[in-house]
Order: sequence, then structure tokens, then C-alpha cells
Amino acid sequence: MIELIGVSKRFGDSLAVNNISLKVASGEFCCLVGTSGCGKSTTLRMINRLIEHSDGEIHIDQQPIRSFREEVLRRRIGYAIQSTGLFPHWTVARNIGLVPRLLKWSQAAVDARVEELMALLRLDMAEFAGKYPHQLSGGQAQRVGVARALAADPDILLMDEPFGALDPITRENLQLELRDLQARLGKTIVFVTHDMDEALRLADHLVVMHEGQVVQQGHPLELLREPANEFVTSLLGGEDRGLKEAALLPVSERMVPLGVGGVARDRIVQTASLRDALSMMLWRRVERLAVVDDEDIPIGELSFRRLVGARGHE
Amino acid sequence: MDSQRSDDGKGYLVLVALMGAALVAWWWLPSVSVAPNRIVPGTGFSAGQVAGWPMALLASLPLLLTGWVALRAGQQRLSWLLGLVMLCLVGWPLWLLLATVQLVDPQLPQARVAIGAGMWLTLFLLLLALIELSTRMKLAAWRSWLLFLLPVAVLAACIPVGLDRLALWQEYQGRSDDFITAIGVHLLLVAATVVLSLMIGVGIALFVRRVPAMQRTVFSILNFLQTIPSLALFGLLLGPLAWLASHYAWLESLGVSGIGWAPALLALVAYSLLPMVRNTLVALEGVDEGVIEAARGMGMSRRQILQQVRLPLALPVLIEGIRITTVQAIGLTAVAALIGAGGLGRFIFQGLGQAATDLVLLGALPILIMALVADALLAGMARKLQPGLSPGAGT
Amino acid sequence: MNERHGAPWLAPLCWGILLVGGCLLMRFLEAPLRLVEPDSRAVVFERVDLLTLLGRHLLVVSVAALLSVVVGVVAAIAVTREKGRDFLPLVAQVASMGQTFPPVAVLALAVPVLGFGTVPIIVALMLYGLLPVVRNTLAGIEGIDPAVREAARGMGMTSRQILRQVELPLASPVIVAGIRTSVTINIATAALGATVGASNLGEPIIAGIVNGNTAYIVQGAVLIALLALTVDSLFGWLAPGHTG
Repeated sequence: MIELIGVSKRFGDSLAVNNISLKVASGEFCCLVGTSGCGKSTTLRMINRLIEHSDGEIHIDQQPIRSFREEVLRRRIGYAIQSTGLFPHWTVARNIGLVPRLLKWSQAAVDARVEELMALLRLDMAEFAGKYPHQLSGGQAQRVGVARALAADPDILLMDEPFGALDPITRENLQLELRDLQARLGKTIVFVTHDMDEALRLADHLVVMHEGQVVQQGHPLELLREPANEFVTSLLGGEDRGLKEAALLPVSERMVPLGVGGVARDRIVQTASLRDALSMMLWRRVERLAVVDDEDIPIGELSFRRLVGARGHE
Repeated sequence: MDSQRSDDGKGYLVLVALMGAALVAWWWLPSVSVAPNRIVPGTGFSAGQVAGWPMALLASLPLLLTGWVALRAGQQRLSWLLGLVMLCLVGWPLWLLLATVQLVDPQLPQARVAIGAGMWLTLFLLLLALIELSTRMKLAAWRSWLLFLLPVAVLAACIPVGLDRLALWQEYQGRSDDFITAIGVHLLLVAATVVLSLMIGVGIALFVRRVPAMQRTVFSILNFLQTIPSLALFGLLLGPLAWLASHYAWLESLGVSGIGWAPALLALVAYSLLPMVRNTLVALEGVDEGVIEAARGMGMSRRQILQQVRLPLALPVLIEGIRITTVQAIGLTAVAALIGAGGLGRFIFQGLGQAATDLVLLGALPILIMALVADALLAGMARKLQPGLSPGAGT
Repeated sequence: MNERHGAPWLAPLCWGILLVGGCLLMRFLEAPLRLVEPDSRAVVFERVDLLTLLGRHLLVVSVAALLSVVVGVVAAIAVTREKGRDFLPLVAQVASMGQTFPPVAVLALAVPVLGFGTVPIIVALMLYGLLPVVRNTLAGIEGIDPAVREAARGMGMTSRQILRQVELPLASPVIVAGIRTSVTINIATAALGATVGASNLGEPIIAGIVNGNTAYIVQGAVLIALLALTVDSLFGWLAPGHTG
């Protein structure tokens, strides 16, 4: 668990981060969102002491971070950044094995771990292990960056716009994989981004920052439904909010369980989002969709009326 | 972003260190040396011996004060510090004047004063302080040059009132005509080198662009030439040229011979070709293809592209090549004096031969100044032509 | 010269053989030397053994180079650390300004201060040789992508680990290029040392100039040129891709 209590950061005369308090529970995916210069990166980098906080306290698992030596602290926290920061003179395998080697693991253990991580991030061992960073595409390099961050199996992962420089398709793939990875590994992740769609897609816990302060935090749906002020509203995309909310809710939320038998021809998986369902209705010009489970067996039906049904319906 | 290095609270270490070192040099090393004539080696005098220690203490006060302000005020008072350093620099020739008046017997017409290691080192450290401050204050280049000129002006003003006993000045007076000629020859050789190598260099660069297959070979040869030490290259040209001159009378009538300006100029041009060709090529090829593409897309003709796009973008790089060549040629021309090409190098080698330190200085100092001035002028020119950079900004 | 095809060690080997061979066999080349200098009584420089001169030349250059590499790299590292950063602008400025000083002028100025002989020349060469080493080490270290350093810190590397495993390996090609420049200049400047009484391969040249004996000059010039080419091609072999 990460806890920030009344933390501030001063650079000379300017206050980059102003008295923020934040609690990230274990296993939570926390996104810090805001415009550039709002202090989100500074906040992130104070957690692993790349920047020292000026006031307040930061605790990890109830222990103040200053009770650790900087290097010791950082070795137990994973860290991934937008420009990857892979060492250009080291191979992919050596880059991934960096922290385990710093922790003096045996060579065999390091090798095994590297292999495991490359499999986890779908990097073909035979193809990539011996390559150098400049031979990788942006997406591949970022996979290596994430693998390196995960190498020593840290409980906490700090990520600073890791997918910011990637093309939309690669970015979305990596987002889905990261989400999946987090669900499987149960890491606590603090993720900085300025892309609200990315934040909504990933976060369990969304923190909106502005001018060094936390404006609003909570579950993404909470923020969508009750934005604290104009700033949060505009950041969430104003009138687009409906679609964003729909993207967060699964079809199963609004469907009517199967009664009489499938009338609709068009099918949608129950795990798809309401946004997908709406899109399908618009595209196919229908008002009803049959909802199916993973095995393609119909389990219910979704009507347009149900889809747009008033909030808190039933 | 994380420029956490606090410049508040602690002293301005760099200046404190420089002033501390200057004080040590001032007190511990000989300030001046005095000789009754040119042949006898001088006697060294420490700062305390020049005019008694209270005077020396008084004279070192500006140094102390500068160090103290730097220690206490940190980097808050840069302009004060600059003023204090300038005070020290202006005081430097005055101290020299005082030493001359105190120590030189006016009855001896040949007696002379030479600047000692302590004063040289102090001057050097003060100049470092000046460089440090003007970098830190981001002074425009011409302003820092003006600052350098002030102590020089004071020094010049001191010469008629007693500093004519300075050994360096005496050496100059002994051969003022020679000196002017030497500077002329030196500049002429440098200018000829730069012009010739510019013409040949641009020619080679254009040729290499036409025939890219030759690029490797050309650069191998130029690199090869650059690797050969100057003294050796001058020497190697000596033999063939002497032979040519003795077999072809018309060459000899032109003044070509194994020694003199001919081998010097040849070698100087040979050395200058590498930086010239390299920079010309970079200048021609370094222009972003996207820019040319855009220019063509807007409907500019080849000529317009050359005149309005390529040339303005290439010019700063070309001038950078000229700068490297010029600075290099100024130094190498000094070596050329060994094979009788004349120039300021003559004084250096004569002085070294006669163990006459001040004659060496008479040759070496102008060369240093010429190199620095040429470097600053051409660098300033390149910067001024650099699009998107305001003149005088940056260092 | 930077030969890429063929065996890369061939160039330094060839130049080296020519150099040592030249030193040993020069005395048998009286006939061709006669051609350049038909009038003089002696055309072969015999005052000092050429191999001895080569040895002295190498000694002076390598001691000076070793010192300037150690001092230069350490100084450049020191001013790029947190504690020494205050000195960085001055050191960088001096290193680049100092390179506009012609080596002859530096050598000439060193003599009055330090005196005549081998030690002053070593000191002068070392001081001048410092400049390219410092400048390139600074450029190499400062040129590293800040993200790499940030990542290294973020992964929990200590500053010493970052220096040894990241900064120095990444900067090393640039540093080696600086050392190469430094050594090349030093070989040439050391030869000039013969004018102030140093005994090295510059000696035949100076003797030739003084006595008007072109044959002496040619012998010295050929050997110095071969020495410079040997050392330069050695660098080309050890650190390919960085010429001049």
C-alpha cells in the first residue's frame, strides 16, 4: 500500500505539488491524470525518491520511504517511462535482468527470470534476447521496458506515460495486456497519463490533478457520473461522457436474461461494453441484440431502450 | 525539471577556489624578475619584496574581497563579483608599474623587468574568473570582449609612464619593424591558406557529391594527410620542391624553393583540406531533405531553392569549416617558420634558441591572440547566420 | 586511415614494421638519400641511434598521454557529478577555448615557465593533451540520453554503478576519439620539442634545418610520419568508426 500524507514539492519558489494526500491500496490500479505541468509526474517520482518531497510523508506498507536507502527502495519498486530508458549498449536480455543482477541473484536465477518475463510479455526469446534496443520497434521496446520493471517481482509498479509515444493500435494492445497482467499478478500500479481514455480504460482509482493539487479522486464511474467541477468535466470530455461511461460498463449490466427465446439475429458477447453494443446497433440498424456467453450460447437480450435506460434503472 | 542543486545558502565555490589559488600564487611565487640587461638572468622578487609587505597586502585586498564576497553572497551578487574581478584585472598592470618603478635602476638603460610566475598565474586565474562570470551571467560575446579590453588598455596606458622597462616591450622595441612584417607575413600565409583551401575544398566536395564512389578514397587521403605531423610534412615537401626548383628555372624565378613560403603554403593547404571538405559536404548534404521537398512542393525553382534555402542553411556550417581551418592555420604557420617561411614563429624559435623568454612571448602571445580573435569572430559570424538563433544568444 | 575491409590489424602492423625497419635500415639507404642531398658529406643521420630516438619519442608521448587520460577523464567525471557540477561550465569553456591555442604556442610558453628538457615537455604535452580528453569525456557523458540515466536511477542503481555500467561504456567511443586526437597532436608537438633540446625523432629534422642538410630532414620526417600513422591506425583498429 502506498500512502501520501500532505505531500508538497517545491522547486525554488514554485510549488510543483501542493499538499496532496493519496492512498493507493494493494493490488489497485491507480491513474494520475492531468494536463502537462500539473505535478503528476513529480508526484510519481517522489514515490521512488527520484525527487525528494519537501513536506509531508510518503509511506509504503506503513513504512516511511526515507527509512530505506534510496537504491534499496527503488529496487523493490518497478519503474517504466515513456522513452523506455533501455540501456543502448546492452541486449534485451541483459536489460531485463538488470535489477535481479543488482540484487545479486545467481546467474541461473537471472536467466530463468528473464525467460519467464519475455514469455509473459510475449517477446520471443530466440528472436529478441540478443537484440539491442535500437533494433526494436516502439511497442517492442516498451514491452522490454515493462519486463525490466517487473524483473525483480516488485509489489509496486510506477509507470510514467509508458505508452505515450506509441501508435493507437499498439497502445491499445499494450493497455489491454497491462490490465490483464495486473489482474493476474495483483501488482499495485501507479500510472501517470494525460490521456483520459487510457486512464478510464485502465484505472480502478482515478486521480485528477491540476496545478499541483488533487481535484478529484475515486472510481472512474464515480468521476464520470459526478465530476467535481468544470475542469474535471472538460477533462472527461464534456458531452462525450455518456460514451465513455458506456465503454466502462459490460453488456451483462443491462441485458434481460433469456426468457422466451432469441429473437434478435445480431449477437454480442456479454463481456463487451455497452459502447460496443450501441455501435453495433447503429451500424446494423437494429434495436435488439442477442447476448451470448463466451461459448456463443445465447443468455439474454439487450434492447435499445434498456441500453439507454435511465441511470439507476431498476 | 529536477534542478534541485540549490544555489542559495552555500558559497560560490568556483570563484572562491579561483581566488584562493590566485592568492596563493600571488604570495608564494615570484611576482617579477629584474635583470640589469638582456643577457644576465633576472633576479626574482616576491610580492612582499617589491614594495614591502603592507603594500603587497593592500594589493591583494581586491583578491581577498572577491573571494570573501563569493563565499558569503554565493551566486546572488554576480555583477558585484564581476566588478571586483575587473578591479583586480585593472590593478594587475598597475602592480607591474609599481614593481618597475621600485625595482629598476633608472641609471641602467638596459635594465628590464619581466613578469614572474606569480603574476602570470594570477592573471590566468583572473581570466578564468572572468570567463566563469561571463558564462554564468550569459553575457553577449562582444560584451565579454570589451571586458577583456579594459585591462589591456590600462596596460597600454602604463607603458609610456614607466612600463617601457617591461622586457617584453624592450624585445618589441628592438625589432618593431620585424614584428610588423612578421605579423603581416603570418596573416598573409593564413589568408592564402584559407582562400586556397576553400576553393580547392569546395571543388573536392562538389566532385565527391557527383562521384560518391570516390568519397571513401578522398577522405582516406585527407585523413592520412592530417595524421602526418606538421614538422614532418614540411620536411617531406622540402626535398621534392628543392629538386623541382633546381630543375625548372621558371619555378625558381617564382620564388619556389625547398625552404620558404612554397612548402609552407603547400603543407598548410594540405592540412586545411580535411576540415574544409568535411564541412562543405556536411553543409551541402546536411540540409534536411524534408525542407527541400517542401520547397519543391511550393513550386520553387532549383535556383530559388539553392539561393533561398540551401545556401542560407549551409552557410553557418561552411563558416564553421573556415573557422577550424583558420585557427589551425594560425598555429601551423608558426611551425612553418622552421623552414624559413617567416611569420611570428620566427621569434618563438629564435627566442627558444637564445633562451630569451620574452622573445618567445613576443612570438607566442600574438599567435594566441590571433587564434582567439579569429575563433571568436568566425564563431560569432556563424551564430549570427544561424537561423532561429538571435545574435549574441548562447555561448 | 580506417581500413574496414581486410584484416583490421594489418594497417598498424604494416606501418609499425615500416617504422622499426626504417629506424634500423636507414643507414643502408645512403644512395637514395644522396639524391636529395648531393652536396653534403654525410647524408645518414648518425649522431644518435634512430631506434633510441624513436624510443624517447614514444616514452615522452606515452607518459604524457597516460597522464592526460587519467587526469582528464577523472576531472571530467568529477565535474559531471552532483558535487562538482558547479565547475562544469568553466571546465567545459576552458576545454573548448584551450583547443584554439596552437600547440606550438603552448609548448613555447611552457618552456620559460618550466625550463628546458624532457620533463617540461611532458608537462606541456600533458596539459595540452588534457583538452581533447576533457572535452570529449564531457561530451560523451553529457550526450547520454537523460532517459537512460533516469531509468538507471529508477531501477535502483547507485551512482557508482551508473557511472561504471552505464555512463562510461556509453561515453567510451567519444572518449577514445578524444584520446586519439590528443595522442596525434602530442606526437607532432613532441617533435617540435627537439627545438628546445628534447632528443627525439624531431632531432634529425632540426639538425637538418640547422646544417642545411635536406637528407637529415627527410629521414626525421619519414620516421615521424610513420610513427603517427602507426599509432593512428592502432587506434583505428582498437576503436573503429572514429577517425580524426
